[in-house]
Amino acid sequence: MTRYVMIADLRRCVGCQTCTAACKEANATPPGVQWRRVLDIEVGEYPNVNRIFVPTGCQHCADPPCMHVCPTTATGQRDDGIVTIDYDLCIGCAYCAVACPYEARFKVDTAEFAFGDEPSTVERAQFDERKVGVATKCTFCADRIDAGRAAGKTPGRDPEATPVCVNSCISGALVFGDIEDPDSTVARLLAENKSFRMHEEAGTSPGFYYLWDRGTL
Amino acid sequence: MGEPRAAAARKSVPTYCYNCVAGPDPMVVTVENGIATSIGPNHAAADVHPGLGRPCVKAYGLVQKTYNPHRVLYPMKRTNPKKGRDEDPGFVRISWDEAFEAIVSRLKNIRERGLIDEAGLPRVAATFGNGGTPRSYMGTFPAFLAAWGPIDFSFGSGQGVKCTHSEHLYGEFWHRAFTVSADTPLTRLIVSFGANVEVSGGVCAVRRHADARIRGIKRIHIEPHLSPTGACSAEWVPIKPKTDAAFMLAMIHVLLHELPRTALDLAFLRDRTSSPYLVGPDGYYLRDPASGKPLIFDEASGRTVAFDTAGAVPTLEGQYRIAEAVTHLPDGEVGEQRDVEAAPAFVALTEAMRSYTPEWASAVCDVAAATIRRVAHEYVDNACIGETIEVDGQTLPFRPVAVTLGKTVNNGWGAFECCWSRTVLATLVGALEVPGGTLGTTVRLNRGQDNRLVSVVPGDDGFMASSFNPTDRKNWMAKPSGRNAHRTLVPIVGNTAWSQALGPAHLSWMFMKESPPSWPKPSVPELWFAYRTNPSISFWHADRLSATMAQMPFIVAFAYTLDETNHMADILLPDATDLESTQVIPIGGTKFIEQFWEHKGIVVRQAAVEPQGEARDFTAIATELVQRLGLLDRYNAAINRGMFGGRHKTEKWDFSLAVDQAHDVDTIWDAVCKATTAELTDGKDIKDLAWLKEHGLFVVPFKRTDWYLYPSFVAQGLRFELPYQERLMRTGEELRRRLHEHGVHWWDDQLSEYQPLPEWHDVPGRWTRAVESMGGKPADYPLWAITTKTMTYSAGNNSGIPLMYEVGKNLRGLGNVIINANTGKRLGIASGDWVEVCSLIGATRGRAELVQGCHPDTVVIPGQNDHWKTPFAKDLNFPSLNTVVPLSLELTDATGSGADLVRVSVRKVDGPKARAVS
Repeated sequence: MTRYVMIADLRRCVGCQTCTAACKEANATPPGVQWRRVLDIEVGEYPNVNRIFVPTGCQHCADPPCMHVCPTTATGQRDDGIVTIDYDLCIGCAYCAVACPYEARFKVDTAEFAFGDEPSTVERAQFDERKVGVATKCTFCADRIDAGRAAGKTPGRDPEATPVCVNSCISGALVFGDIEDPDSTVARLLAENKSFRMHEEAGTSPGFYYLWDRGTL
Repeated sequence: MGEPRAAAARKSVPTYCYNCVAGPDPMVVTVENGIATSIGPNHAAADVHPGLGRPCVKAYGLVQKTYNPHRVLYPMKRTNPKKGRDEDPGFVRISWDEAFEAIVSRLKNIRERGLIDEAGLPRVAATFGNGGTPRSYMGTFPAFLAAWGPIDFSFGSGQGVKCTHSEHLYGEFWHRAFTVSADTPLTRLIVSFGANVEVSGGVCAVRRHADARIRGIKRIHIEPHLSPTGACSAEWVPIKPKTDAAFMLAMIHVLLHELPRTALDLAFLRDRTSSPYLVGPDGYYLRDPASGKPLIFDEASGRTVAFDTAGAVPTLEGQYRIAEAVTHLPDGEVGEQRDVEAAPAFVALTEAMRSYTPEWASAVCDVAAATIRRVAHEYVDNACIGETIEVDGQTLPFRPVAVTLGKTVNNGWGAFECCWSRTVLATLVGALEVPGGTLGTTVRLNRGQDNRLVSVVPGDDGFMASSFNPTDRKNWMAKPSGRNAHRTLVPIVGNTAWSQALGPAHLSWMFMKESPPSWPKPSVPELWFAYRTNPSISFWHADRLSATMAQMPFIVAFAYTLDETNHMADILLPDATDLESTQVIPIGGTKFIEQFWEHKGIVVRQAAVEPQGEARDFTAIATELVQRLGLLDRYNAAINRGMFGGRHKTEKWDFSLAVDQAHDVDTIWDAVCKATTAELTDGKDIKDLAWLKEHGLFVVPFKRTDWYLYPSFVAQGLRFELPYQERLMRTGEELRRRLHEHGVHWWDDQLSEYQPLPEWHDVPGRWTRAVESMGGKPADYPLWAITTKTMTYSAGNNSGIPLMYEVGKNLRGLGNVIINANTGKRLGIASGDWVEVCSLIGATRGRAELVQGCHPDTVVIPGQNDHWKTPFAKDLNFPSLNTVVPLSLELTDATGSGADLVRVSVRKVDGPKARAVS
């Protein structure tokens, strides 16, 4: 059984937001919608202060609360663990956005563009009306995974089958792969390092792990 | 793509990003139906690029940059002859032909009257921003500049005050280190004084430091605020601004006075530095009367001998009586020294550092003495004295410790002391230019920019040759050849292609407004080219600088959008931007910052999409200009000489361009590709432009041993010109004499920097005193204001791109004023409040962001964004340090640089200032 997960190695992340920008561009998300983003968190008191950069987004939970509250079954889950949204079924009620402990879902009610009311050339070419008035979120670039696999590529190893945020990550903090494959990089990293998952107490069993060797954040 | 879209004709186009000096980095552009839709890594380059073929966040802004509706897409001319911030330029669209004629008629007129004006200054000036990176986008325009003749490059857009200026000059002098890096792949301990590599070090640095953290490196980051680099370090040590030199002097004190001599690399000091040279009573080296060579005391023979005597074993310690010697004094004078006491330079160093205890430094830096002492101990403990490592089959010393310096630490007053201390700390443990240690990564003032080792040749006194501007009575250039007087005032900057731009870049602006006593006010250039530069925003005292700029009678701006600088222009020319035009540049080898590779070669930028509007490829613009000016032969000859890569004609190949013809863009770059790949492979593997466009880059192996100068020094028997600075002392005295002979006394304070060994001179106090000398009360400006970079913006070229703003806002501080939480509370300021930061020359406003990770005496204003014209950026209401930092001769150091900080007050206000402009 395959379960795709993502790892963010907090020892590596520098908060550069390259993943955020790459995701926005690849998925043509409108201003303010960031399926992938990196939080900038400060803890402690001067002069004993730590600052940590935490990539976040949809955690592709094994038990996703967003799916349970969806009244139309628009939110679903694939066999490989990826949590999906069917825009044709979504009615934009935003229950899922409220239910998500990770603030990973977005909904825009009107078309918005980077430079104002009018779309730029590239925005006009990429505009997808289906994404207005519905919930959207990180898809783990499921179409890349599927297309890559169809071409014989391995997600997490071959760029053609790997989410764009992972491909773009300049520090090597983001890693992707099948946690059930003991030979995958994600399985090896989790076996060899201390890790945690966000809001684990919520019982959602996220598919997003953080490597961190300095205790809790 | 992340989400399915309608099927489209899609292609991936390899190209490069060189948005900042830490590049270039390979990338690909996805083009769908002729429209660039996204940027991504060039995974095909992962095996050769230290950053695995991945560009940083800035590259992802290039799509919006291309389709920005605010672009200038047609040539335009000014219709309002009055210039100024409050004047509407009245730009109207014109044809390319009209634009060329307007420029060429001016240029022809200048050529007829002579390229140099009555004041001896070039009539044409040019400024290109962002650390020289515009050269990687301006096609063959450098060949146009070469074909033209003398041009004044001294109008700064930020160099000298925004760069690591002292490192550029002293670093290159001491170890061919225009930029300096730790040998990150091998080092174990980095003591970083504000070197914000996780933000401005580029993708090679980010990846290497991340890898290093995983393997267990320790980085101690010392900086007033908790930057991303501090965040990613093992330890952050807050320090008062401009006191870094005191911390480092105390580290040297610990090494010399508190630890046993076995903690030092005595062999390195003895054989590879000036440490054993005997210093006479007058402070100059004692020399052999016959040969003029510096003397050492030879342990083997028990007598003084010339430093290069075969079999001699120099001593580092002791006091010796010398019967007869000479000293080489300024202006060729010779000092007769008979029966004098002398000690090695190492002894002089030890004595000079005696008073700089950690306890002394603690009071200066606001850092505990125990912390300073511990850092010094950790430095020595990790230095691995005596260990070696095998690199490329050579056995080299392994010294995995490095001290790195950031901006503001590394420019303006105190920077000389910091650079010297950093480099001396490396020499004390033998960690200079060896595996694991402190490396230079490029040269700019010396020739050999693709391999700095070629500039390592023997000079005087056993040191590497370095070419200073002359200071002797006969050859000193009393009359400046450029408006910043770099050859007159700054001997160490030399006089090669980059020297003028690395001179005192703010003096040009200052002196055009008001020149000091006994100094003629420089003439205004008759024509000024400006490209990828916006000094009205990126330089200090922005209002005053804009007013000075408005005096320029004819400005040709290559314009992306309207902005605060081209607001003063007479002609706007739209050049094809990053994704729309073609160029080939060198890549790999050793370049800026942490771009040291195990490969070198060339990389292509190509037109992934058609230019928007009437924007033209820069090479086509340059060719048209030279054709109309009748300079084609000189232009083509410059290209053929190898200006953009390899020589076009050798005994083995000939890819010369016919000099009397105007060639199209691809023909020129095709010849460059062939010539450069021929030179890289000795003619064995020649690639044309079509091949480069398909593959993106071409590389050959680059020896890792060529990262280090040490093997070249050993092979040539050279010594690093450290720790003692006899040459600088002599040069400074000669410069003092020349200036005084010409009645110039306003540079006297700067002359104090020419010291054989640094002495602490209350560096931060200079800023307090500057408040007084400008008529203010220091108590009214109780805080420091400093700045910091954000990766999304780097030097500010992306300020009009919404994507950069959106993702940049995920990090703290962008567009805000960062204040220590307790300081904010004391001042009655809460996060989100509007605050005004006031210096003696002005005020800037932004929202307060209260944090714990900031020194209580310091506020931080990220970026340089006080825009009033640039579309999108002008509506953000960002604050800018540049609005409140004065252009100040008093705060200019001997290299002609200033530090990016100022004394300020902070108060809560109701909201932003109005920023109306016509």
